[in-house]
Parts: sequence; C-alpha cells; structure tokens
Amino acid sequence: MPTTNNFQKMLLSKKNIGLVLGLGALVVMPFLSLPDLSPAGHVALGIFVMASVFWILEPIPIYATSMGVILAQVLLLSDQNLIKGWWDAQYEGGYQAPAYTDFYNTLANPIIILFLGGFSLAAAAEKYALDRNLTRIMLKPFGQRPANVALGVMMVTGVLSAFMSNTATTAMMMTVAIPIVARVPVDDPFRRLVALSIPVGANIGGIATPIGTPPNAVALAALARQGTIVPFSTWMLLATPLVVVTLLLSWWGMCRMFRPGIQTFTLTIDSKFQRSPKAICCYVIFALTVGLWVTEKLHGIPSGVVAFIPVVLLPALGVLDKKEIRGFSWEVLWLVAGGISLGLSLRQTGLAEWMISRVSWENFSTTGLVILFGLVGFAVANLVSHTVSATILVPIAIALVLPQAGGDPAALIIPIAIIGIIVSYSMILPISTPPNAIALSTGLIETKDLAKAGWLVGILGFVFSVLFGLLLWPLML
Amino acid sequence: MSEQIHILCVEDEPDVLDVVVRELSVLEDVFPVEAAASSDEAREVLAEIEAKGGSVGLIFCDHIMPGENGVEFLVTLQKNENYRDTRKVLLTGQAGLDATVKAVNEAGLAHYIAKPWDADELVLVAREQLSRYVAARKLNPLPYLKHLVMDIVGDTLRDSLKSDR
Repeated sequence: MPTTNNFQKMLLSKKNIGLVLGLGALVVMPFLSLPDLSPAGHVALGIFVMASVFWILEPIPIYATSMGVILAQVLLLSDQNLIKGWWDAQYEGGYQAPAYTDFYNTLANPIIILFLGGFSLAAAAEKYALDRNLTRIMLKPFGQRPANVALGVMMVTGVLSAFMSNTATTAMMMTVAIPIVARVPVDDPFRRLVALSIPVGANIGGIATPIGTPPNAVALAALARQGTIVPFSTWMLLATPLVVVTLLLSWWGMCRMFRPGIQTFTLTIDSKFQRSPKAICCYVIFALTVGLWVTEKLHGIPSGVVAFIPVVLLPALGVLDKKEIRGFSWEVLWLVAGGISLGLSLRQTGLAEWMISRVSWENFSTTGLVILFGLVGFAVANLVSHTVSATILVPIAIALVLPQAGGDPAALIIPIAIIGIIVSYSMILPISTPPNAIALSTGLIETKDLAKAGWLVGILGFVFSVLFGLLLWPLML
Repeated sequence: MSEQIHILCVEDEPDVLDVVVRELSVLEDVFPVEAAASSDEAREVLAEIEAKGGSVGLIFCDHIMPGENGVEFLVTLQKNENYRDTRKVLLTGQAGLDATVKAVNEAGLAHYIAKPWDADELVLVAREQLSRYVAARKLNPLPYLKHLVMDIVGDTLRDSLKSDR
C-alpha cells in the first residue's frame, strides 16, 4: 500500500534517524559506565555525539545545533545545571562545574570578534561596490587571452574571498561574469572554465587569511585554547604561498580539462569608484583594518582587537546602517561559537584525553596523524559543511598532537593548521560548499564538470598542504 | 521550476496588434507574448495565465478602445493585489493629458510610448520593464537573464545567488 510506504519513508527519513540517534546518545551516554571516563565526560560525550549526528544528518539547521550545544552545556555541565542531584550522586564532594558564563562567553571569543570585523568590512565593500571596482582593476593586467582571463578571475576571486565570505565573493563574481560569458558559444569549454574558476578561486582563496573562511577560525580557536595564539600575519605567511601554488596548479590543470575554443575574450565590468564621503570612509577603514591585520607582528595589537575598529567605525560614520548590520551572517558566528564551546567541555571534562587513550597512537607519527585526519577531513567536508567538519575533527586532533608537541608551539600549529586547511579544498560535490551550489545554479556547468575540477583541487590541496606543512612551515615558524 | 512571466498586449486594431506581437517575439523564448483585442478579452487572458500558475510581468495597452478604455483598465488592474507589480505601459497616440495623468497617478504607469514607435525602442522598453518587474518581486533573475538588463537586475542576481544557501 502506497500510504504505508510513504509513512515508512517518512519515519526512516535522514532527518528522523538523525533526531533519534542524536537525542538517544544525549540521553543514554550519561548512564553508561565507560572505563576511565569521568561522569562529566559521559555527559560531554553525549553532547558531542548528539552535535556530530545533528551536524551531519541535519534534522535541524546546523547553526541551531550549535546554539543547542551551548544550551545543553549550560543546562547539563555548568554551575547552573538542572541535574544537581545527579551530579551529587556521581561525585564525592560535589562536581566542580564551570561557570555557565564560560559557555556564553564563547560568542565573544576574539576569533568571533575577528569574524565580526570581517563581516562589517565585507558588508561595506559590497554596499559601496568596492569589491566590483577592485575586481575591475585587478583583472586588467590579465589581458585578453582566454586562459589568462580565467587565471585572472580565479586570482581575483581568491584575493577577495580571503577577506569576504566565499559565498558573497562567488555571488558577486558570478554576477559580473555570467552576462559576459553568456556571449561565448554554448559548446565552448571556456564557459565552463570561467564558471569553475570562480568557486575554485573562492574556496582556495578563503584559506589565505584567518577571516577567509570559518574552518580557519575553528583551527585558530582550538590553538588559542591551548595558549598558542597565531597572529593574523603569521597565518597569512603560512597560508598564502600554499594558496598561490594550489591556485596556479589548479588553473593549469583546468585549462587542460576545459581548453578554450575562442582566441580572445574581453571581460568588461561597468563600475566606477564612488566618490561620496561615506564611500571614501569605507575605503579608508578597509585599508586601515587590513593594513593593521597584516602588520600585527610589527605593532603587536592582536587582530581580535583591530577587528573591533571597523565594527564600531563603520556604523558610527554612517557607512553601514541597521539594515546591513542585520544582514551579517550571524548564524556563522553561532556555528563557530558552538564549536568553541564544545571544545571547552571536551577538555575540561577529560573527554578528549579519554578518546585518545582508547587507541594506541604511539604507532602514529605526527605526519601519520596529519595524513589520517586530513583524509578523513577531506572526505567528510565534501559531504557536510566545511566548518562542521573542522569543528568535529580539530578538537580531537589537537588533543592527539598535544603530547607529541611537547610545548613547542610550531609542532602544535602546523598539524592543526594543515587539518583546518585541507577541509577547505573539499569541493567535489554540489553540496560540498555554497560556492559550488552557486556555480551549478547558473546553469553554465554540470555536476560532472564540478567533480572533475573538484578532484583536481582536492588532490592538489591535500598533497601541497601536507608538503608545505611538513617541509616549508617548520622553517618559517 | 521558475515562474512563467508573460507579456500582454492589448490593442483593438488587429493590424497594429500583429505588429506589436511580432516585434516582441524576439523575447518569446523566455517571455511568452499574449494578445487581446479589448479589456474584456485581456481579463480572460489574465485569468488563463493565472490558472496556469504564471504571472504577467508587463502590459502594453492602447488607450482608445471600444468599451472600457485602456487607462480605466489599467486602473482596475492596479487595485488588484496580483497585478500591482506588473509593469504597465501605454502604447498609444491618443491619450489626452487627463487620461495620462490618471494613468500615472492611479495605475502606476511605468512608461509611455507614443505612436508611431520604433521596434528597437519597444523591445528595449520591454526588457527594461521586465527587469524592473523581476527586481521588484525579488525573483531569481537567472532563468530570464538572457533578455534582462544587467544594470537593473545585477544586485537582485547577486542577492539571490547568495541567499537560500
């Protein structure tokens, strides 16, 4: 009977399975008695498994899961927990619960403020068409040979997405490119080359700065929790050469996959630098903030402090108004904060150490760990959000690396940065990243084109992240 | 599936109607062009389009017609929620000042084309007005992009690419 079938389908949908598994883990875990794990560790494990299941199967939106993680920690693990009686029964002399404000404070973590600064700069750049004007100027030197135009598009997308969100950059570049590319004959591979160079540029470019994409923030926040603060400029110093090399090689490979048929191509963009006082404020604040970020090593003002300058100045000078502030991707901040909060409990309850003690990692060198986590991260990030992949893997990875690092910051930064970066190279499927979905929605490319480019980028990204991380970065840190 | 956006031409002279429809046929691969000889017939066409789940993005309307005149027809449309965003253009040689003022004030007239007109001008006006319709309704411009004016829909396109992800 079709109705029963539908009913069964509904009952066994991905969402419902996720809901039952996730909530089941949350309820059951505290009542198990896993050897060597503290009672609080059991509760934290329940929250961790629930969050991972929810993030992957998405019975509720991923940002709602992150909010739920913070709520669950406040209600179960904080000093304001609702299960005091249960804790009293578990611990002799009472459970040393962290203040509930510790969990809320993750929303004001310097990394979150850094992103907030990035959001306000990006919103101002978009409002005053700074992004479009920079695109026009930066594309000029690339000339008119189709392959070079594609390289230009890729590089410019990369530069912009290092400071704006990958999604916003892709949407802007597509809007510029679509009407022009549409004039190229339908069977000319050049159309696909350009349409693919935008998501590739956006995904790779995001790696270049701490604010480029949330997985970078996840890695940096995890490092900061261990007392290892990575300056903005240091991240850029490590990541930028990797970004440039992988972009160039991706371009080279894609030009071979999608050989342009036409001989010359002119990409014209109609836009002029706006001269209004507000537009000029926008340019100055943008330049000032980015300037202070990249020179962090010289003046020593942390990037999280600098980031708050545009957050205040842009609305104060009327460059941004309420409407744009409401338009920030606030859910991304919740997403990252939920991950930071989870990391807090993982460490504080001893869950992280316990997870590691289950496997004999002595057989693994740091290189082995990086390769293993990189592969898992790459696979997972193609299927679920990059941020989620990093959020689940980085806290486990850092706990594993910690004893091997032996207090050497470089030995901690390198493996965690590699793992955080590799997820950004995951772009094989349309669902892998929003830029992929945007590129596909334009109708200029098909899923199989995306898969071809995605495999190329993924393999290059993986190999070079590991190579750079293990051979080059130790010399730079 | 994206929404089918139609162009409707209302004109009582069969020869003139033919010319308008023919000139607009360059847009027809994206925007189907419908014709009506009177306001009554126009209402029937609107009902048919509505029944199919489509919408009317643009109406070219003559003024002097037997029965209800063009401006009155446009004013009644403006009062209907479903056709408030529809771009309304008078295509006429004989609308006096009073009728034109009424069309601007009460029918939200978007444009006035005086007869005789130029085919290129007609198509350009159609493209501009359809672009404004897509932008006003915040529809995803992609399916219609071929005939839209990028300056008008650029921001809408960017926002729609960015949203729903």
